Parts: sequence; structure tokens; C-alpha cells
Amino acid sequence: MNNPIIALLGNPNVGKTSLFNRITKLNQKVGNYPGITVEKREGSLTANNKTYKIIDLPGTYTLFPSSLDEEVVFNTLVDQNNKLKPNLIVVVGEPSNLKRSIILYQQARELGLPAIFVINMIDEATTKGIHIDISKLESLLKTRIFQTNARTGVGIDKLISAFDSIPPIYIGNFDIPEQHALALAEAKKLFPLESEYNTWQYLAKGNIEFFSKETNDKLENIRGKHKITPQILQKEESIQRNKNLEQSLSSIISKDSGLKSITNAIDKILLHPILGYIIFFGVLFLIFQGIYNWSGPAMDFIDMQFGDLAAYVQSVLPAGPLPDLLSNGIIKGIGGIVIFVPQIVILYIFISLMEETGYMSRVVFLMDRWLRPFGLNGKSVIPLISGVACAVPAVMSARNIENSKERLVTMLVTPFMTCSARLPIYIVIIGLVIPESTFLGFNIQGIILFALYILGILAALGSAWLLNKIIKTKHKSFLIFELPTYKFPDWKNLLLNVWDKSSSFVFGAGKIILAISVILWALGSFGPGDKFKNAEEIVTQNNPTLSEEDLSHEISSYKVEHSYLGYLGMVIEPIVEPLGYDWKMGIGLISSFAAREVFVGTMATVYSIGDDADIEDDASKRTILSKMRAEVNKNTGLPAYNLASGVSLLLFYAFAMQCMSTIAIVKKETASWKWTLIQTGFMTGLAYIAALIAYQTLK
Amino acid sequence: MRDKSSLDKLKKGEKAVIVDLNSNEIPPKFYEMGFLPGTEIEVKHIAPLNGPICLNIIASNSLIAIRKSEAKVIIIDPK
Repeated sequence: MNNPIIALLGNPNVGKTSLFNRITKLNQKVGNYPGITVEKREGSLTANNKTYKIIDLPGTYTLFPSSLDEEVVFNTLVDQNNKLKPNLIVVVGEPSNLKRSIILYQQARELGLPAIFVINMIDEATTKGIHIDISKLESLLKTRIFQTNARTGVGIDKLISAFDSIPPIYIGNFDIPEQHALALAEAKKLFPLESEYNTWQYLAKGNIEFFSKETNDKLENIRGKHKITPQILQKEESIQRNKNLEQSLSSIISKDSGLKSITNAIDKILLHPILGYIIFFGVLFLIFQGIYNWSGPAMDFIDMQFGDLAAYVQSVLPAGPLPDLLSNGIIKGIGGIVIFVPQIVILYIFISLMEETGYMSRVVFLMDRWLRPFGLNGKSVIPLISGVACAVPAVMSARNIENSKERLVTMLVTPFMTCSARLPIYIVIIGLVIPESTFLGFNIQGIILFALYILGILAALGSAWLLNKIIKTKHKSFLIFELPTYKFPDWKNLLLNVWDKSSSFVFGAGKIILAISVILWALGSFGPGDKFKNAEEIVTQNNPTLSEEDLSHEISSYKVEHSYLGYLGMVIEPIVEPLGYDWKMGIGLISSFAAREVFVGTMATVYSIGDDADIEDDASKRTILSKMRAEVNKNTGLPAYNLASGVSLLLFYAFAMQCMSTIAIVKKETASWKWTLIQTGFMTGLAYIAALIAYQTLK
Repeated sequence: MRDKSSLDKLKKGEKAVIVDLNSNEIPPKFYEMGFLPGTEIEVKHIAPLNGPICLNIIASNSLIAIRKSEAKVIIIDPK
């Protein structure tokens, strides 16, 4: 027999996830719902002599969905064929907003689902002066009511012991409005086996994913014939339910008035029309500082460990292609992924803190006005800010945007934000072509770096504006969200969230980075013809005076030149020549398609500095810079890295979609190759044109 | 009888009772989150330059933010 499935259903901010963590005792996993990328948290629990499967449904206010998350809830509960259709629903509410949760509960019961009701955060009833007559509420809801505090664990055992209970028969108190009787009667013919309320839901919902197009069309015909729209029906249901409940609840819940909340006082400062923005930008500044300054030691440590491991593998295994694949392809590939973990962890600590405390929705409030002209939503601010660290988790965070167009546009423009992988390239190229002098007392190199960040923001907003003109939408843009009361973060939630995000980066995006780095390794390690095969003899013969170390660097440089990667660079040379690059830089462009930061490492190999050059180490930075400075572009006879080609490279990397992981995550999140390819094409096209104009005007 | 007005006209600190939502395009989320006829609300914060407004739904003591464009179709009876 299958395990009984218990689903947690409730509004956002009722402590549902904390409750889920308590029930499953952290015995859980995060995945996606089949076919779509909405986070699915699933856990198991052994109690009452059996094992339960526990599902934490996304937070929702209603069973009439307006975002992807809410759609999932409806499909899980109503689709008869859904594998996760629960045996029991635990509806979670909190004392200050019980009515909304009760409506959700009633909708679920009237759809024929057994449910029990939990009032979580019960401690807040006392602090907020709310009195609830539990026994009266039990008879109103016709089910057992449990009181819990998920943070302390109060009431959890009692709740778990009721997982096998069967709530008494429930008869709804929602009367389907008489004026729609005819429409309903017609719809009922389509679903002879279903209850009246189920049929009403189908009629009131609009397009239903798990029905065939034919059935949906029939429903649409009925709506058209009777001149009704889902909005009208949903409005009628909402108003009626609220009215009914208002009366019943007046004798069940009472509140001491006059309790002033601390939230009010904090909001006066954080939502202040001037001060609010200053504080928000202060917080942003702190996040940037955190990402760059605090991650350094951890990144160095990871870098060193992987470097040592690669060296160790090389020293113990005999020389040959397979050990080389292991050390230079696989270990370095994994190292290239893991090195970003400190930055992602720091970023997500900040973002989770902002979400857990309730500050994030204040940011949405402050920023909506500024993003709206570009066709974005206040909620887009979260992906855009996260994009400064890494576009991969940033694109994922666009999920809570209701409007599908605004969600798509946000995901498409987020990769323009200057992610941390661009930084190594910026530092190297700025160091090469921009003089180290000052302007009005400011370091010019610093100003250029800052300008590149601004350029990323402008490119994101500008292309959002453009996409907003191009993409058509059926749905009107709207914004509605709750500003929750300020809370101290639940540290367990915070840590779990950070763990989920970082591990999904490592295992999700990591697979692709690893694959690409192995392919690049193969292209760089093999070559056609004798020149590649006999590289060592040729180089040694031509350079009899070189020291052993320089000789080995010279050999690897010669090998790259005559490898498949080298020939590839020469093939694309005509394409990159107008931008001021030669074939060596072309190789850098190709290999950095996997991830931008690969450019620096590839250059190090091509210029025979040794591919272990570390740009953060001053000595090897000087070496790589002086080698690159001395490099002459064979096409022009000029230094390969002059002002024109340098600016051209900077612009290319500012705009181009040089990141396989981002492409992969965009494909996953948009579920569309079309938009993924349009995005990649658009970004690369823009990068090419900007680089071309820059080089041709500056040369 | 006082004049009916729309929610976007209210200033910070003013209270009103919602009379109707004058639109069939408004998503049901507005009703679910408490914008229902008869509900008393107070304007708590207004973001600058026509930005969103934040309302306190007095009965549930919750803070909900919406845009000016949606506030326009919410008909109110000012207090």
C-alpha cells in the first residue's frame, strides 16, 4: 500500500514551512513538481505505526490561482490523476488572519477533500490580544482544530497523532448564485461524476491545465453563452464567503483593540519616502561588501584545495590523457563550480534574512514605482539584486511574480546584471588598458569598474523596456502583496533555505559546467596532425636556451595553438577580427562560453604563463599582465591589448551571454527553447555590436 | 450624504470604507486579501511619485500594498 499523503496548505507567512520542518524532523528533500519548476518540498514521517509522505504546498491565498505557485496547489488538490493528491489536508492558519485561512479550508472541504485545521503561531494570540473560542470554531469548521507553535514545538505531537483521523461530513455554506444556475447545469453535463462545487470551480477558474483543450473550449463556450467570466464568478464567491464568515466569526474571535504593533514604528522609518530609500541602498551596499569582502578567504581556500588535489592526482598517477582528464578536466571543472559557493551562500543569507524578517516585501513596495516604466514589477527587484552575485539563483527567484509576462521579462534581463564571474575579466582588462591615474581625486580604474556595473543595470532595464513593447500579454499587470509583521528570523528556516539554494546551484548548474569543462579540456588536449603530436620536440628544437619551466609553458602554449581549440580560434578569427581580437583571444571567447571566468585561465595557457595563474595573487597577476601587455596582435601589428581592443572586450563581456549555467536555468524556468535562444542571441548580438562600435571608433 | 470617491484619492492617515470594486478585470486575489465591500481601511504609507500605496485592513490588522492604478477602481466612502 502507498504511504498516506498529508499536504500542508495555507497562506504565505503563517509559519507553514517551520511547521513542515518540525513534522518531518528535517527528513525532507526539495525538488520540482513534474514538468514545471515550482519548488516542491516533500518529507517523510514515521508515526502511528506507519510512514507518511508530507508535502509542503506553496503558500496560497486562494484556490483560484494567479501565479505559478498557486496553480500547483489547485492542480495537486483537484486533479484526480495527480500522484500527489493528498489523503488528508492540514490547513494552517495564524491567529491574526484566521478568516483567510478558513476560506481556504472551506474551499478545500467543498471540493471533497478531508481536512483538519491548525492554528499555528498560537503564542501570537496572547501577544496580540486575540481570543479564539476553539470549540465553537470546531463546530463551525466540522473538524478538529490544533494549536501549535512550530518554533518551539508546542502541539506538534498532538497534531501528528491525528493524521489518521477522518473529519465528519462537511456541507458547504457557499450557495452557488441562482443567476448562474443555467450555466452550471450545462457545465454539469460535462462532468456527470463530480460534485456541484467542483463543477462551479471549473467554470469559475478559466483554463484548467489538466483538462483537454476540448473540455476547456466547451467550458469557455458555456461562459461565453451566459456572458460570464471567471473574474465575475470568483468575485461573487469571494464576497459571499467573506460575508458568511464575518457573521459566524463575530462570536468566535474577539480582539483587544488598541494594541500598537512595533511593525508600525519600524515601517515609519523603513518605508519613509526618503529615509526608506537611503536605508535600502545602505543594505544593498552592505550585501555587495559582504559578497566581495567576506567570501575572499573561503574562495582562496577552496581554490587552493582543488589546486592541491589536481596537483596531487597528477603527481601520483602516471602521465597520460586519463589522469590529465581527471586533474585538468574534472577536478578543475568541479573546483570552478564550488568556488562560487561562498558568494552564493553569503548572498542567500542576506536574501533569506530579508525575507524571514519581512523586509523584502518592503523593498518590493519601495521599488515598484521605479521598475514599472520598464515593464517590470516591484517583485523583479529580488532577481535583479541577486543577479549581481550570480544569475542562476537570481533567475530562479523570479518565481513569485504573478504576471507571466513580467516574470518572463525579469528572467530574460536578469543576466545583464554584472555577476561576480565578470569581475576577474574586468580586473584583468582594466588593469591592462586603463591607466592607473586619478581623475578628480578618484582612481580611474575604479570609476571604470563602477561604470561597468551601471552599464549592466542600464542594459537590463533597457532591454526590459524593449521586451515589454514586443511581448504581448493577455493578462493585465497588477500588484498586490502583504507586508507581514516584522519577525525575528527562524534560523533553521534560514539555514535550510541557504542550503537548498547553494546545493541546487552546485548540482544543477554544476553538471553543465562540468560537462563543458570536460569538452573544453578535450578540445584543448587533442589536436590533428604531427604538429600537436610532436609539440615537445618542435619547441625544444626551436628554443634550445629556455629554462625547463619556461620550456614547459612554451610547449603547452604551442600545443594549445595546434589543438582543436586553437584551430577553432583560427576559424572564428574573421568573425572577431573586426572587434580587434586575434585568434588567441578568440579561443578565450569560445572557451569562456562555458563561464566567463574561464577567459582568464585560458589566456594564461595561451600566453604560456601556466594555467595555474591566479589573478588574485599579486605576483602571478603581474606576470599575466606583463605577458598580455607584450602580446602583439599579428593582424594589426599593434599590442593585442590596447585601449580600443580592451574596451571592446569589456563591452563584449558586459553584454554577452557567456554562461552555460544561465542558459540551462533559463531553459528550465521558462520551459521554452524559443525564449532561451532569443535571449542568448539578443545578448550576444548586442555584445558584438557594442564591441564592434567601440573598437572601430577607438582604434 | 458624503461623496463617493476612489481609494487612490486618499491621503496618508485617512480612513475609509470600501463600497465596491468597480472592475471586472481585478483578479480575485484582491477579494481574498480583504478588499471587500464594507471593509474599513486606513492609508498607512504612500510610495513617492505615484508609487504603490500601503493600506491597513483594520478588521484583520493586515498591511496590504497595491498600485495606484488598482486603487483607482476601488470605490470608497471616506470617513
